[in-house]
Amino acid sequence: MASVPWEDELTKRLQDQFGDRILEFSTYLGQNFLVARPEAVIPIIEHLKLEAGFDYLVDVTAVDYPQRPERFDLVYILYSFSRNERVRIKTRIAEGATPPSATGVHLTANWLEREVYDMFGIRFAGHPNMQRILLPEEWQGHPLRKDYPITRQDDRWVQENLGIESAQ
Amino acid sequence: MRKFFRTVFLVDLLKGLRVTFRYQHPKHICTEQYPAQRPRIGERYRGAPRLNTNPETGETLCIACNLCALACPENLIVVGSERNEQTRRKELTTFTYDTSRCMFCGLCEDACPVDALELTQDFEIATYSREGQIWDRQMLEEGPKPTPYEC
Amino acid sequence: MAEATFLDSTELVLNMGPQHPSPHGVRRVILKLDGEKVLGADCVIGYLHRGVEKIGENRTYQQFTPYVDRMDYVAAVSNGLGYCLAVEKLLNIEAPPRAQAVRVILTELNRIASHLVWLGTHALDIGALTPVFYCFREREEVLTVFENYCGARLTTHAFRIGGLQYELYDGFEEQVKAFCDMFLAKVDEYEELLTGNRIWIGRLKGVGILTAEECKAYGVTGPLLRAAGVKWDIRKAQPYSGYDQYEFDIPTGENGDTFDRYKVRLEEMRQSVRIIRQAVDRIPEGPIMGKVPKVIKPPVGEAYVSIEAPKGELGYFVVSDGSPQPYRVRVRPPSFINLQAVDKMVRGGLVADVVAVIGTIDIVLGEVDR
Repeated sequence: MASVPWEDELTKRLQDQFGDRILEFSTYLGQNFLVARPEAVIPIIEHLKLEAGFDYLVDVTAVDYPQRPERFDLVYILYSFSRNERVRIKTRIAEGATPPSATGVHLTANWLEREVYDMFGIRFAGHPNMQRILLPEEWQGHPLRKDYPITRQDDRWVQENLGIESAQ
Repeated sequence: MRKFFRTVFLVDLLKGLRVTFRYQHPKHICTEQYPAQRPRIGERYRGAPRLNTNPETGETLCIACNLCALACPENLIVVGSERNEQTRRKELTTFTYDTSRCMFCGLCEDACPVDALELTQDFEIATYSREGQIWDRQMLEEGPKPTPYEC
Repeated sequence: MAEATFLDSTELVLNMGPQHPSPHGVRRVILKLDGEKVLGADCVIGYLHRGVEKIGENRTYQQFTPYVDRMDYVAAVSNGLGYCLAVEKLLNIEAPPRAQAVRVILTELNRIASHLVWLGTHALDIGALTPVFYCFREREEVLTVFENYCGARLTTHAFRIGGLQYELYDGFEEQVKAFCDMFLAKVDEYEELLTGNRIWIGRLKGVGILTAEECKAYGVTGPLLRAAGVKWDIRKAQPYSGYDQYEFDIPTGENGDTFDRYKVRLEEMRQSVRIIRQAVDRIPEGPIMGKVPKVIKPPVGEAYVSIEAPKGELGYFVVSDGSPQPYRVRVRPPSFINLQAVDKMVRGGLVADVVAVIGTIDIVLGEVDR
């Protein structure tokens, strides 16, 4: 089952507003998503919030595809209480890119973006407190990247802070 | 006015205390006196693993198919087998089960095609050493032998 | 400039935790205080981080199911349901009706168990020592049902992708019905103990207020959102697992304070009993397992499925690359996101209310840190 194009009045409005900065509108398994250029994501989220009632940012996450030139998929999931609809916004960014933070639009993004930074090493520009959230601040490496094996640990950190040779 | 009386005469407090005192009678005790009294264990309880043997011949039921080892999320089962030249069948030689990493999810039990591996109702599987948590074939067939409590 | 004296020092930084009894886990809050007043709170989390999402990428779809139970261990059944639904969505299948009905019963029983743990420990934090014993006594009945059904009490691993592993045991209906009959009277008892209690009201009314707009801005869901007056429940908004067949109400509060959240959760327990009664009366006959291949390989694609867990919206975002292992499993944990609002809720309040606010969010640190 492949994804099918997604067309309704919302996509028309977004198309008019953002033009070719939105690359794709699709529906897969009944779930709508759109793929946009990285610089357009925050304006789209803001537009959806103010004009279309998507006032709840459900989740921000990333997916790592190391073999691609633009390595990460950044995924935003939005929900509208008034329309009872979910929309996923996806964008592709390269390693080292600093996508703008969504904290100015949705306060939820604060911790979610910190977690994305912690796990994938994507720094968000304009974030008020871009620090690790789950792992210790001095930890080396970003665990959810595909080139980080499941058994790896930061040996130096473990030896310095826990006083043991290995935590495994 | 009613609120005032309720406040002065502590009506709500007394209502709450009535609940408390209703349960003072010893028949409401629901504490289990564990070592002295055996707890009630569900029939499907997933506890200590056991490798079943045929009760008549004492031979193991395991056919060394390795499905439990593949199903285990923690990869803690190691099945050793060798081919019997006469019968051309795989026979079980060793079976190790690391209970220290086991989370008793029951996937190995579900995967077993001959009901040889089973998670039993035994729950007293604490040991004094980490090495004691790694069970070999003999231990799995005999089951844990906890020291009974005497009072 | 004059030298700063003792009287000038207005701001005090107080470290609460990680070993503090109130958060029921390990979590540190750095409080900025001006006397008794809280100027800000900064949460330091991650002490229980086990890398569940990374584990998911290195296990097959079936092998990952027991791990999701270990996130929100108080409501393990809900976690399992969310994950199974997400993978079923990717496979584009549905569990058979009998399995769906049993799933609803067990999930609602788990919601009751989760709320009972919350009620008992929250009351304990506030200083009411009695309710915790009663709550755990009733929770024991729920756990006995789980133990009889699937063999485990806490981390149940009750559901499998595509349906259920275990058929109902003899006497399941009777046991659940007996629990429902007994339980409603017990909820009234908790109300007798707490609702009118002057200390309870004094500690909870007007504490940690979060309005509907603030809830939406912070992404706060679950009983906290409903207490702020938003009638929103995923079981009604986007029904899953056959919830549209059952009649129940969504309780809401008015002020969005800690007391309203307590009332909402108590009412939710009563509504859960209502759902369970309807579901037990009409468990359809039929198979309990759908047509699922031995090795699950969903087609390439991704899906986000969310359910109404006891703590809020629990979502799973699963990406498949066509292999037997998920390419990425993202969990949207309700506790983690609700905890973010703690700073907003305690700011301007008294330091004694911090414990009440942390208790009212109903966090489980295993889920916050994953």
